[in-house]
Amino acid sequence: MTSPWAVLQRTLWTAGLLSLAAAIGILLVYTPTEATMGPVQKIFYLHLPMAINTFLACLVVFIASIGYLWQRSTWWDDLAAAAAKVAVVLCSGVLITGMIWGRSAWGQWWTWSPRLTFSLMLWLLYVVYLTVRMSIESAQRRAVVSAAYGVIAFLDVPLVWLSARLLPDIHPASIQLIAPMKLTLAIWFVPVTLIACGLIMARYNLNRLNRQWQRGVELVDTPAPRMRVAGGVA
Amino acid sequence: MQALRQILHLTAKDLRIEARSRQTLGLVVVLGILIVTVLGLGLGAQQSGGPAATAVLWVAYLFSGVLCFEKTMALERHDGALAGLLLAPLDRGVIYAGKLLSNLVLMFAVGAVITPVGILFFGFDLSAHPLGFLAIMGMSLIGFAAVGTLFAALVSSTRLAGGLLAMVVFPVTLPLVISSTQMMSRLFAEAGQWNGRAFAILLAFDLIFVVVSWLAFEWVIEP
Repeated sequence: MTSPWAVLQRTLWTAGLLSLAAAIGILLVYTPTEATMGPVQKIFYLHLPMAINTFLACLVVFIASIGYLWQRSTWWDDLAAAAAKVAVVLCSGVLITGMIWGRSAWGQWWTWSPRLTFSLMLWLLYVVYLTVRMSIESAQRRAVVSAAYGVIAFLDVPLVWLSARLLPDIHPASIQLIAPMKLTLAIWFVPVTLIACGLIMARYNLNRLNRQWQRGVELVDTPAPRMRVAGGVA
Repeated sequence: MQALRQILHLTAKDLRIEARSRQTLGLVVVLGILIVTVLGLGLGAQQSGGPAATAVLWVAYLFSGVLCFEKTMALERHDGALAGLLLAPLDRGVIYAGKLLSNLVLMFAVGAVITPVGILFFGFDLSAHPLGFLAIMGMSLIGFAAVGTLFAALVSSTRLAGGLLAMVVFPVTLPLVISSTQMMSRLFAEAGQWNGRAFAILLAFDLIFVVVSWLAFEWVIEP
Protein backbone atom coordinates (compact mmCIF):
# COMPACT_ATOMS: atom_id res chain seq x y z
CA MET A 1 0.00 0.00 0.00
CA THR A 2 2.80 2.40 0.85
CA SER A 3 4.19 3.97 -2.28
CA PRO A 4 7.94 4.60 -2.68
CA TRP A 5 7.12 8.30 -2.56
CA ALA A 6 5.52 7.94 0.88
CA VAL A 7 8.45 5.83 2.09
CA LEU A 8 10.89 8.45 0.86
CA GLN A 9 8.97 11.16 2.64
CA ARG A 10 8.79 9.25 5.88
CA THR A 11 12.51 8.50 5.75
CA LEU A 12 13.26 12.14 5.05
CA TRP A 13 11.24 13.37 7.99
CA THR A 14 12.61 10.72 10.36
CA ALA A 15 16.18 11.53 9.36
CA GLY A 16 15.48 15.25 9.54
CA LEU A 17 13.98 15.18 13.01
CA LEU A 18 16.59 12.77 14.38
CA SER A 19 19.44 14.86 13.01
CA LEU A 20 17.75 17.98 14.38
CA ALA A 21 17.74 16.43 17.83
CA ALA A 22 21.39 15.46 17.44
CA ALA A 23 22.32 18.92 16.18
CA ILE A 24 20.60 20.58 19.14
CA GLY A 25 22.44 18.23 21.49
CA ILE A 26 25.78 19.04 19.89
CA LEU A 27 25.02 22.75 19.99
CA LEU A 28 24.28 22.62 23.71
CA VAL A 29 27.05 20.29 24.82
CA TYR A 30 29.92 20.31 22.37
CA THR A 31 30.04 23.71 20.63
CA PRO A 32 32.12 26.33 22.45
CA THR A 33 30.49 29.64 23.34
CA GLU A 34 31.84 32.59 21.42
CA ALA A 35 33.80 35.09 23.53
CA THR A 36 32.34 38.48 22.60
CA MET A 37 28.74 37.66 21.74
CA GLY A 38 28.13 34.83 24.16
CA PRO A 39 25.37 32.26 23.60
CA VAL A 40 23.53 34.49 21.10
CA GLN A 41 26.24 33.68 18.56
CA LYS A 42 24.84 30.13 18.42
CA ILE A 43 21.89 31.44 16.45
CA PHE A 44 24.34 31.65 13.56
CA TYR A 45 24.33 27.85 13.13
CA LEU A 46 20.64 28.02 12.30
CA HIS A 47 20.82 31.32 10.43
CA LEU A 48 23.31 30.37 7.71
CA PRO A 49 21.81 26.96 6.77
CA MET A 50 18.38 28.57 6.55
CA ALA A 51 19.76 31.30 4.30
CA ILE A 52 21.39 28.77 1.98
CA ASN A 53 18.22 26.67 1.90
CA THR A 54 16.18 29.75 1.05
CA PHE A 55 18.24 30.08 -2.12
CA LEU A 56 17.76 26.40 -2.87
CA ALA A 57 14.00 26.74 -2.47
CA CYS A 58 14.04 29.81 -4.75
CA LEU A 59 16.03 27.78 -7.27
CA VAL A 60 13.37 25.06 -7.14
CA VAL A 61 10.70 27.71 -7.81
CA PHE A 62 12.73 28.93 -10.79
CA ILE A 63 13.25 25.47 -12.27
CA ALA A 64 9.63 24.47 -11.70
CA SER A 65 8.45 27.74 -13.28
CA ILE A 66 10.53 27.14 -16.38
CA GLY A 67 9.29 23.55 -16.40
CA TYR A 68 5.70 24.76 -16.31
CA LEU A 69 6.15 27.30 -19.10
CA TRP A 70 7.82 24.61 -21.16
CA GLN A 71 5.59 21.58 -20.55
CA ARG A 72 2.44 23.10 -19.06
CA SER A 73 1.85 20.20 -16.72
CA THR A 74 0.20 21.05 -13.45
CA TRP A 75 2.66 19.22 -11.22
CA TRP A 76 5.37 21.75 -12.07
CA ASP A 77 3.00 24.45 -10.91
CA ASP A 78 2.27 22.60 -7.66
CA LEU A 79 5.98 22.13 -7.06
CA ALA A 80 6.71 25.82 -7.65
CA ALA A 81 3.94 26.82 -5.26
CA ALA A 82 5.23 24.43 -2.60
CA ALA A 83 8.83 25.61 -2.93
CA ALA A 84 7.82 29.27 -2.83
CA LYS A 85 5.92 28.76 0.38
CA VAL A 86 8.89 27.04 1.98
CA ALA A 87 11.21 29.77 0.66
CA VAL A 88 9.07 32.38 2.41
CA VAL A 89 9.03 30.41 5.65
CA LEU A 90 12.81 29.95 5.57
CA CYS A 91 13.42 33.56 4.60
CA SER A 92 11.22 34.68 7.49
CA GLY A 93 13.42 32.53 9.73
CA VAL A 94 16.54 34.14 8.28
CA LEU A 95 15.11 37.61 8.88
CA ILE A 96 14.08 36.86 12.45
CA THR A 97 17.36 35.18 13.43
CA GLY A 98 19.24 37.97 11.65
CA MET A 99 17.34 40.59 13.60
CA ILE A 100 18.05 38.83 16.89
CA TRP A 101 21.71 38.72 15.93
CA GLY A 102 21.67 42.39 14.96
CA ARG A 103 20.02 43.36 18.23
CA SER A 104 22.70 41.61 20.22
CA ALA A 105 25.71 42.56 18.05
CA TRP A 106 24.90 46.11 17.00
CA GLY A 107 22.19 47.04 19.49
CA GLN A 108 19.52 47.55 16.83
CA TRP A 109 16.74 45.30 15.60
CA TRP A 110 16.98 46.71 12.12
CA THR A 111 19.68 48.44 10.10
CA TRP A 112 19.66 49.04 6.36
CA SER A 113 22.80 47.00 5.99
CA PRO A 114 23.19 45.10 2.69
CA ARG A 115 22.43 41.60 3.90
CA LEU A 116 19.45 42.54 6.00
CA THR A 117 18.09 44.64 3.15
CA PHE A 118 18.73 41.79 0.76
CA SER A 119 16.87 39.30 2.95
CA LEU A 120 13.96 41.69 3.21
CA MET A 121 13.81 42.22 -0.56
CA LEU A 122 14.04 38.49 -1.18
CA TRP A 123 11.26 37.90 1.31
CA LEU A 124 9.11 40.56 -0.41
CA LEU A 125 9.75 39.04 -3.85
CA TYR A 126 8.46 35.64 -2.77
CA VAL A 127 5.68 36.89 -0.53
CA VAL A 128 4.41 38.68 -3.63
CA TYR A 129 4.67 35.37 -5.49
CA LEU A 130 2.33 33.77 -2.96
CA THR A 131 -0.02 36.75 -3.02
CA VAL A 132 -0.19 36.60 -6.81
CA ARG A 133 -1.18 32.96 -6.55
CA MET A 134 -3.91 33.76 -4.10
CA SER A 135 -5.38 36.59 -6.14
CA ILE A 136 -5.90 34.88 -9.50
CA GLU A 137 -8.94 32.65 -9.71
CA SER A 138 -8.46 30.81 -12.99
CA ALA A 139 -6.10 27.92 -12.23
CA GLN A 140 -4.53 27.98 -15.67
CA ARG A 141 -3.99 31.74 -15.69
CA ARG A 142 -2.62 31.59 -12.15
CA ALA A 143 -0.08 29.01 -13.19
CA VAL A 144 1.14 31.04 -16.19
CA VAL A 145 1.37 34.35 -14.33
CA SER A 146 3.13 32.86 -11.34
CA ALA A 147 5.53 30.87 -13.51
CA ALA A 148 6.55 34.02 -15.39
CA TYR A 149 6.89 35.85 -12.10
CA GLY A 150 8.90 32.96 -10.64
CA VAL A 151 11.40 33.21 -13.49
CA ILE A 152 11.70 37.00 -13.34
CA ALA A 153 11.95 37.03 -9.54
CA PHE A 154 14.79 34.53 -9.52
CA LEU A 155 16.69 36.43 -12.21
CA ASP A 156 16.19 39.51 -10.09
CA VAL A 157 17.86 37.91 -7.05
CA PRO A 158 21.51 38.52 -8.13
CA LEU A 159 20.66 42.10 -9.06
CA VAL A 160 18.96 42.62 -5.71
CA TRP A 161 22.03 41.23 -4.01
CA LEU A 162 24.45 43.43 -5.98
CA SER A 163 22.36 46.54 -5.50
CA ALA A 164 21.97 45.89 -1.77
CA ARG A 165 25.75 45.80 -1.53
CA LEU A 166 25.85 49.44 -2.60
CA LEU A 167 24.54 50.31 0.86
CA PRO A 168 27.03 50.87 3.70
CA ASP A 169 27.83 47.61 5.51
CA ILE A 170 28.25 46.47 9.10
CA HIS A 171 27.45 42.80 8.59
CA PRO A 172 30.40 40.42 9.09
CA ALA A 173 31.70 39.50 5.64
CA SER A 174 33.33 36.33 6.83
CA ILE A 175 33.28 35.00 10.33
CA GLN A 176 36.36 33.45 11.86
CA LEU A 177 35.36 30.04 13.14
CA ILE A 178 37.44 27.55 15.07
CA ALA A 179 37.25 23.87 14.10
CA PRO A 180 34.43 22.74 16.48
CA MET A 181 32.32 25.70 15.32
CA LYS A 182 32.83 24.75 11.68
CA LEU A 183 31.83 21.19 12.50
CA THR A 184 28.66 22.38 14.26
CA LEU A 185 27.80 24.54 11.28
CA ALA A 186 28.30 21.61 8.90
CA ILE A 187 26.13 19.38 11.11
CA TRP A 188 23.36 21.97 11.24
CA PHE A 189 23.11 21.99 7.46
CA VAL A 190 21.82 18.40 7.59
CA PRO A 191 18.58 18.81 9.58
CA VAL A 192 17.74 22.20 8.08
CA THR A 193 18.15 20.92 4.52
CA LEU A 194 16.26 17.69 5.23
CA ILE A 195 13.40 19.51 6.88
CA ALA A 196 13.27 22.07 4.07
CA CYS A 197 13.02 19.24 1.52
CA GLY A 198 10.43 17.48 3.69
CA LEU A 199 8.35 20.64 3.89
CA ILE A 200 8.48 21.15 0.14
CA MET A 201 7.39 17.54 -0.41
CA ALA A 202 4.60 17.73 2.13
CA ARG A 203 3.33 20.96 0.67
CA TYR A 204 3.58 19.51 -2.82
CA ASN A 205 1.46 16.50 -1.77
CA LEU A 206 -1.11 18.82 -0.30
CA ASN A 207 -1.21 20.88 -3.50
CA ARG A 208 -1.69 17.75 -5.59
CA LEU A 209 -4.53 16.53 -3.34
CA ASN A 210 -6.09 19.97 -3.40
CA ARG A 211 -6.02 20.00 -7.18
CA GLN A 212 -7.64 16.56 -7.35
CA TRP A 213 -10.28 17.68 -4.90
CA GLN A 214 -10.95 20.87 -6.90
CA ARG A 215 -11.35 18.82 -10.03
CA GLY A 216 -13.75 16.51 -8.18
CA VAL A 217 -15.81 19.47 -6.99
CA GLU A 218 -15.99 20.86 -10.50
CA LEU A 219 -17.20 17.52 -11.81
CA VAL A 220 -19.89 17.31 -9.15
CA ASP A 221 -20.97 20.94 -9.52
CA THR A 222 -21.18 21.03 -13.28
CA PRO A 223 -24.71 20.08 -14.32
CA ALA A 224 -25.00 17.29 -16.81
CA PRO A 225 -25.27 18.54 -20.40
CA ARG A 226 -28.87 19.06 -21.45
CA MET A 227 -30.13 16.66 -24.02
CA ARG A 228 -30.74 18.27 -27.33
CA VAL A 229 -33.51 16.93 -29.48
CA ALA A 230 -32.46 17.02 -33.06
CA GLY A 231 -34.37 19.54 -35.14
CA GLY A 232 -36.73 20.71 -32.42
CA VAL A 233 -37.15 22.30 -29.00
CA ALA A 234 -36.21 20.12 -26.08
CA MET B 1 14.58 45.55 -41.06
CA GLN B 2 11.07 44.32 -41.50
CA ALA B 3 10.80 43.63 -37.77
CA LEU B 4 11.87 47.20 -37.04
CA ARG B 5 9.22 48.52 -39.39
CA GLN B 6 6.61 46.35 -37.70
CA ILE B 7 7.67 47.56 -34.26
CA LEU B 8 7.46 51.19 -35.33
CA HIS B 9 4.09 50.50 -36.91
CA LEU B 10 2.73 49.04 -33.67
CA THR B 11 4.15 51.88 -31.61
CA ALA B 12 2.71 54.44 -34.00
CA LYS B 13 -0.68 52.76 -33.67
CA ASP B 14 -0.56 52.98 -29.86
CA LEU B 15 0.59 56.59 -29.91
CA ARG B 16 -2.03 57.52 -32.48
CA ILE B 17 -4.75 56.06 -30.27
CA GLU B 18 -3.30 57.97 -27.34
CA ALA B 19 -3.09 61.20 -29.32
CA ARG B 20 -6.74 60.90 -30.29
CA SER B 21 -8.20 59.72 -27.00
CA ARG B 22 -5.74 61.38 -24.58
CA GLN B 23 -6.87 58.87 -21.97
CA THR B 24 -3.60 57.71 -20.51
CA LEU B 25 -1.28 60.70 -20.43
CA GLY B 26 -3.71 63.10 -18.79
CA LEU B 27 -4.57 60.65 -16.04
CA VAL B 28 -1.02 59.54 -15.39
CA VAL B 29 0.52 63.01 -15.35
CA VAL B 30 -2.07 64.30 -12.89
CA LEU B 31 -1.51 61.26 -10.67
CA GLY B 32 2.25 61.88 -10.72
CA ILE B 33 1.87 65.54 -9.78
CA LEU B 34 -0.54 64.57 -7.00
CA ILE B 35 1.94 62.07 -5.57
CA VAL B 36 4.76 64.60 -5.63
CA THR B 37 2.51 67.14 -3.93
CA VAL B 38 1.32 64.76 -1.24
CA LEU B 39 4.85 63.64 -0.44
CA GLY B 40 6.07 67.24 -0.50
CA LEU B 41 3.42 68.23 2.02
CA GLY B 42 4.03 65.14 4.11
CA LEU B 43 7.78 65.48 4.26
CA GLY B 44 7.67 69.22 4.87
CA ALA B 45 10.18 71.91 4.01
CA GLN B 46 13.06 70.52 6.08
CA GLN B 47 13.29 67.43 3.89
CA SER B 48 14.08 69.23 0.65
CA GLY B 49 17.25 68.51 -1.31
CA GLY B 50 18.76 65.75 -3.40
CA PRO B 51 18.02 62.36 -1.79
CA ALA B 52 14.43 63.18 -0.85
CA ALA B 53 13.73 64.47 -4.36
CA THR B 54 15.03 61.27 -5.97
CA ALA B 55 12.98 59.11 -3.64
CA VAL B 56 9.85 61.16 -4.27
CA LEU B 57 10.40 61.07 -8.01
CA TRP B 58 10.76 57.30 -7.81
CA VAL B 59 7.48 56.91 -5.97
CA ALA B 60 5.81 59.08 -8.59
CA TYR B 61 7.39 57.15 -11.49
CA LEU B 62 6.45 53.79 -10.01
CA PHE B 63 2.80 54.56 -9.48
CA SER B 64 2.26 56.52 -12.67
CA GLY B 65 4.24 53.90 -14.60
CA VAL B 66 2.06 51.07 -13.37
CA LEU B 67 -1.07 53.01 -14.29
CA CYS B 68 0.40 53.80 -17.71
CA PHE B 69 1.34 50.18 -18.50
CA GLU B 70 -2.02 48.96 -17.34
CA LYS B 71 -3.87 51.48 -19.48
CA THR B 72 -1.95 50.76 -22.68
CA MET B 73 -2.59 47.05 -22.20
CA ALA B 74 -6.26 47.55 -21.31
CA LEU B 75 -6.56 49.22 -24.71
CA GLU B 76 -5.80 45.88 -26.34
CA ARG B 77 -8.42 44.12 -24.26
CA HIS B 78 -11.18 46.22 -25.82
CA ASP B 79 -13.12 44.57 -28.61
CA GLY B 80 -10.68 41.68 -28.80
CA ALA B 81 -7.92 43.87 -30.23
CA LEU B 82 -5.28 41.65 -28.69
CA ALA B 83 -6.67 38.57 -30.38
CA GLY B 84 -6.41 40.42 -33.70
CA LEU B 85 -2.87 41.43 -32.93
CA LEU B 86 -1.94 37.87 -32.05
CA LEU B 87 -3.51 36.61 -35.25
CA ALA B 88 -1.50 39.05 -37.36
CA PRO B 89 1.51 37.50 -39.11
CA LEU B 90 3.93 38.98 -36.59
CA ASP B 91 6.54 37.54 -34.33
CA ARG B 92 5.23 37.80 -30.76
CA GLY B 93 8.51 39.41 -29.76
CA VAL B 94 7.70 42.23 -32.15
CA ILE B 95 4.44 42.84 -30.33
CA TYR B 96 6.34 43.07 -27.06
CA ALA B 97 8.91 45.43 -28.52
CA GLY B 98 6.19 47.65 -29.96
CA LYS B 99 4.37 47.80 -26.64
CA LEU B 100 7.61 48.48 -24.78
CA LEU B 101 8.49 51.30 -27.12
CA SER B 102 5.10 52.97 -26.83
CA ASN B 103 5.17 52.58 -23.05
CA LEU B 104 8.63 54.13 -23.01
CA VAL B 105 7.54 57.09 -25.10
CA LEU B 106 4.60 57.66 -22.77
CA MET B 107 6.74 57.25 -19.65
CA PHE B 108 9.32 59.72 -20.95
CA ALA B 109 6.50 62.14 -21.66
CA VAL B 110 5.17 61.65 -18.14
CA GLY B 111 8.66 62.00 -16.71
CA ALA B 112 9.15 65.21 -18.66
CA VAL B 113 6.29 66.72 -16.66
CA ILE B 114 6.69 65.09 -13.24
CA THR B 115 10.45 65.52 -12.98
CA PRO B 116 10.50 69.33 -13.29
CA VAL B 117 7.64 69.51 -10.79
CA GLY B 118 9.54 67.33 -8.31
CA ILE B 119 12.75 69.28 -8.83
CA LEU B 120 10.91 72.55 -8.38
CA PHE B 121 9.02 71.50 -5.23
CA PHE B 122 12.02 69.93 -3.56
CA GLY B 123 14.60 72.55 -4.50
CA PHE B 124 16.81 69.96 -6.16
CA ASP B 125 19.75 71.69 -7.84
CA LEU B 126 20.41 69.87 -11.10
CA SER B 127 22.86 72.38 -12.56
CA ALA B 128 25.95 70.37 -11.53
CA HIS B 129 25.21 67.25 -13.58
CA PRO B 130 22.05 67.56 -15.66
CA LEU B 131 23.19 64.95 -18.18
CA GLY B 132 24.10 62.44 -15.49
CA PHE B 133 20.64 62.87 -14.00
CA LEU B 134 18.96 62.34 -17.35
CA ALA B 135 21.07 59.27 -18.10
CA ILE B 136 20.32 57.63 -14.75
CA MET B 137 16.60 58.33 -14.89
CA GLY B 138 16.38 57.33 -18.54
CA MET B 139 18.07 54.00 -17.93
CA SER B 140 15.94 53.32 -14.88
CA LEU B 141 12.79 53.97 -16.86
CA ILE B 142 13.90 51.54 -19.58
CA GLY B 143 14.34 48.68 -17.09
CA PHE B 144 11.12 49.59 -15.31
CA ALA B 145 9.14 49.69 -18.56
CA ALA B 146 10.63 46.35 -19.70
CA VAL B 147 9.34 44.54 -16.61
CA GLY B 148 6.13 46.57 -16.48
CA THR B 149 5.19 45.82 -20.09
CA LEU B 150 5.62 42.08 -19.62
CA PHE B 151 3.61 41.92 -16.41
CA ALA B 152 0.93 44.26 -17.73
CA ALA B 153 0.35 41.79 -20.57
CA LEU B 154 0.28 38.94 -18.05
CA VAL B 155 -2.11 40.30 -15.47
CA SER B 156 -4.39 42.27 -17.78
CA SER B 157 -6.56 39.19 -18.21
CA THR B 158 -7.08 38.79 -14.48
CA ARG B 159 -9.75 40.47 -12.45
CA LEU B 160 -7.40 42.44 -10.18
CA ALA B 161 -5.25 43.81 -13.02
CA GLY B 162 -4.14 47.20 -11.59
CA GLY B 163 -3.42 46.29 -8.00
CA LEU B 164 -1.74 43.06 -8.96
CA LEU B 165 0.48 44.81 -11.49
CA ALA B 166 1.76 47.26 -8.86
CA MET B 167 2.44 44.37 -6.54
CA VAL B 168 4.47 42.29 -8.97
CA VAL B 169 6.40 45.19 -10.48
CA PHE B 170 7.48 47.01 -7.32
CA PRO B 171 9.60 44.31 -5.67
CA VAL B 172 11.23 43.39 -8.97
CA THR B 173 12.27 47.00 -9.63
CA LEU B 174 13.87 47.49 -6.20
CA PRO B 175 17.43 47.06 -7.59
CA LEU B 176 16.72 49.97 -9.94
CA VAL B 177 15.52 52.13 -7.07
CA ILE B 178 18.56 51.38 -4.94
CA SER B 179 21.20 51.75 -7.63
CA SER B 180 19.75 54.93 -9.11
CA THR B 181 19.30 56.62 -5.73
CA GLN B 182 22.81 55.58 -4.73
CA MET B 183 24.17 57.02 -7.97
CA MET B 184 22.26 60.24 -7.47
CA SER B 185 23.52 60.73 -3.95
CA ARG B 186 27.10 60.07 -5.06
CA LEU B 187 26.73 62.36 -8.05
CA PHE B 188 25.13 65.31 -6.33
CA ALA B 189 26.18 65.08 -2.68
CA GLU B 190 29.72 63.73 -2.88
CA ALA B 191 31.44 66.05 -5.32
CA GLY B 192 30.30 64.56 -8.59
CA GLN B 193 31.64 61.03 -8.37
CA TRP B 194 30.28 58.58 -10.91
CA ASN B 195 29.30 55.35 -9.17
CA GLY B 196 30.49 52.79 -11.70
CA ARG B 197 29.20 49.74 -9.86
CA ALA B 198 25.69 51.12 -9.53
CA PHE B 199 25.77 52.06 -13.19
CA ALA B 200 26.77 48.50 -14.10
CA ILE B 201 23.81 47.14 -12.10
CA LEU B 202 21.47 49.54 -13.88
CA LEU B 203 22.83 48.46 -17.24
CA ALA B 204 22.66 44.76 -16.33
CA PHE B 205 19.06 45.16 -15.15
CA ASP B 206 18.06 46.83 -18.42
CA LEU B 207 19.76 44.22 -20.58
CA ILE B 208 18.58 41.17 -18.63
CA PHE B 209 14.97 42.20 -18.35
CA VAL B 210 14.56 43.57 -21.86
CA VAL B 211 15.88 40.30 -23.26
CA VAL B 212 14.11 37.97 -20.81
CA SER B 213 10.78 39.79 -21.08
CA TRP B 214 11.06 39.76 -24.85
CA LEU B 215 11.72 36.00 -24.79
CA ALA B 216 9.09 35.24 -22.14
CA PHE B 217 6.37 37.31 -23.81
CA GLU B 218 5.43 34.73 -26.41
CA TRP B 219 5.18 32.01 -23.77
CA VAL B 220 2.77 33.89 -21.59
CA ILE B 221 0.62 36.06 -23.81
CA GLU B 222 -2.97 34.91 -24.28
CA PRO B 223 -5.91 36.67 -25.84
